[in-house]
Amino acid sequence: MSPAFVSPFAVTRLEWRRLLVRPLAWVLAALTLAWLAWNFTLLLGNFLAGQIQRAAQPDGPGFVDLVAVPLLAQLAQLAFMVVPLITMSVLAGERRSGTLPLLFAAGVPASRIVLGKYLAILGWLLLWLALTLAMPLALMHATHFDWGKLAAATLGLMLMLAALGALGVACSAFASHPAIAAAAALVIALALWGVNLGAQMAGMNDGAINWLAMSTHLQSLLRGLVSTTDIVWFVLLTVLALALATRRLVADKERG
Amino acid sequence: MVPASQEGEANTSLVHARDNHLLSKQWGHRDNQAMTLPTDVSAAPMLRLDQLSRRRAGRPAVQDLSLLLQHGQVLGLLGVNGAGKSTTLSMIAGALRPDSGSIQLNGADFLEQPELARQLIGWLPERAPLWPELTVSEHLDAHGHLRGLHGAALKQARTAIIDRLELQPLARRLAGVLSQGQRQRLGLACALLHKPALLVLDEPANALDPVQVAALRTLIREQAAAGTAVILSTHLLTEVTAVCDRVAILHEGTLRHDGAVHSDDHAALERTFFEIAMSGNNQPARAA
Repeated sequence: MSPAFVSPFAVTRLEWRRLLVRPLAWVLAALTLAWLAWNFTLLLGNFLAGQIQRAAQPDGPGFVDLVAVPLLAQLAQLAFMVVPLITMSVLAGERRSGTLPLLFAAGVPASRIVLGKYLAILGWLLLWLALTLAMPLALMHATHFDWGKLAAATLGLMLMLAALGALGVACSAFASHPAIAAAAALVIALALWGVNLGAQMAGMNDGAINWLAMSTHLQSLLRGLVSTTDIVWFVLLTVLALALATRRLVADKERG
Repeated sequence: MVPASQEGEANTSLVHARDNHLLSKQWGHRDNQAMTLPTDVSAAPMLRLDQLSRRRAGRPAVQDLSLLLQHGQVLGLLGVNGAGKSTTLSMIAGALRPDSGSIQLNGADFLEQPELARQLIGWLPERAPLWPELTVSEHLDAHGHLRGLHGAALKQARTAIIDRLELQPLARRLAGVLSQGQRQRLGLACALLHKPALLVLDEPANALDPVQVAALRTLIREQAAAGTAVILSTHLLTEVTAVCDRVAILHEGTLRHDGAVHSDDHAALERTFFEIAMSGNNQPARAA
């Protein structure tokens, strides 16, 4: 007897639906996009005000350096707050409401539950990024665009959001309460960002401690430098977090 | 003068007729519209538990439990609170792994192939957990997708179960605002949506009013008549005598009694149950 085929995206579809009908996702999107839009107008105003001065410097910073990348950097800062809030209840909430065993009882493997939920979160985060990017892109016909630099910065943001999302899902898998998951995800993300602060203050700009820090990898991408090391760092963090979340779910089913 | 046994049968028939009438009023049941047999009835028993054990919170919740359930049979799992009923049903439903022992579904090893649950088992957990932000209709769709139903098949199954359990007025209502009885009905609809061969019901009559309880009993009998094996846990003896063919009594995680149920031997079942409930541990299981 062959069991019925279940779409790999069945859990993603369920999570996406739940995300769209909950007010939290809409409120967060509205507030953060409004904040980013306000900052975009400020950055644009500064850019326009300094245009005459920059005209004398042919290799000076352009629209992407002064408006698009700083806007993406602000999105990165907001992500430290937004991602834990979006991910906090994906698994901790299911556990609290007793719906997690329903997924187990439907024969959905733990890895597919984690991946399905992660993809839904990632979809929301990428949509958030796309809406932010739409602001500078709306002016692409009005100014000169450094597409390479913008692509590198966008790739950095995508990798960062993917890693933070995975970290949030992992924290939600381990926490008994969504609020604990959010707090844990925030603390771990901030620790990963600033793990090298002490070393940098001591004048160390190299070594393993700097490699461990998220800031090292994102900042080089925001500057337009794409290196395999940076990409691998984000991919490793994402895979590790998702693997830990899966292990925790398997243990949940074992322990009951 | 009607003999006692015949009187009992006559009473039972009356109860069934009354229940059917109530069901037709309550949950839209119409005669000759029983759900079709969900799977091929083979020679293998629908469910075979062999030496199933599971510890929870550091103590044995279920110990060396062996049970057999045939297609179309209704088994009542009876026991006091903490006897191990819910743990047993969670293991059968695939939500919890046993520490040892085996579970066979239709002759296949369930622990080796947990995906069998998707098609064969419908589970209504205690207190019917739901996603509060989804509507009744969305719940059914989500359960359908998780059970491998898509497109027209899902639409047809959803319409059928909504009609069958009279959920039309609630279809667009959020699960979070449903009453406990309505939640229970939605949970039951989710469990029945994919026409499972084994229906696992954990305290299904919780929070239902007497009319709904009668409708539930008829639904269970209807499922059994269509070949679905049903296992339901309860601590209510009346529930067992009303719908079950067999009763298994669990106490402190072990099987203490496994035997047939007759609707007219409520007093005997009550005596057995209280004997077991008042006894200590390490009593062997006995067949009636």
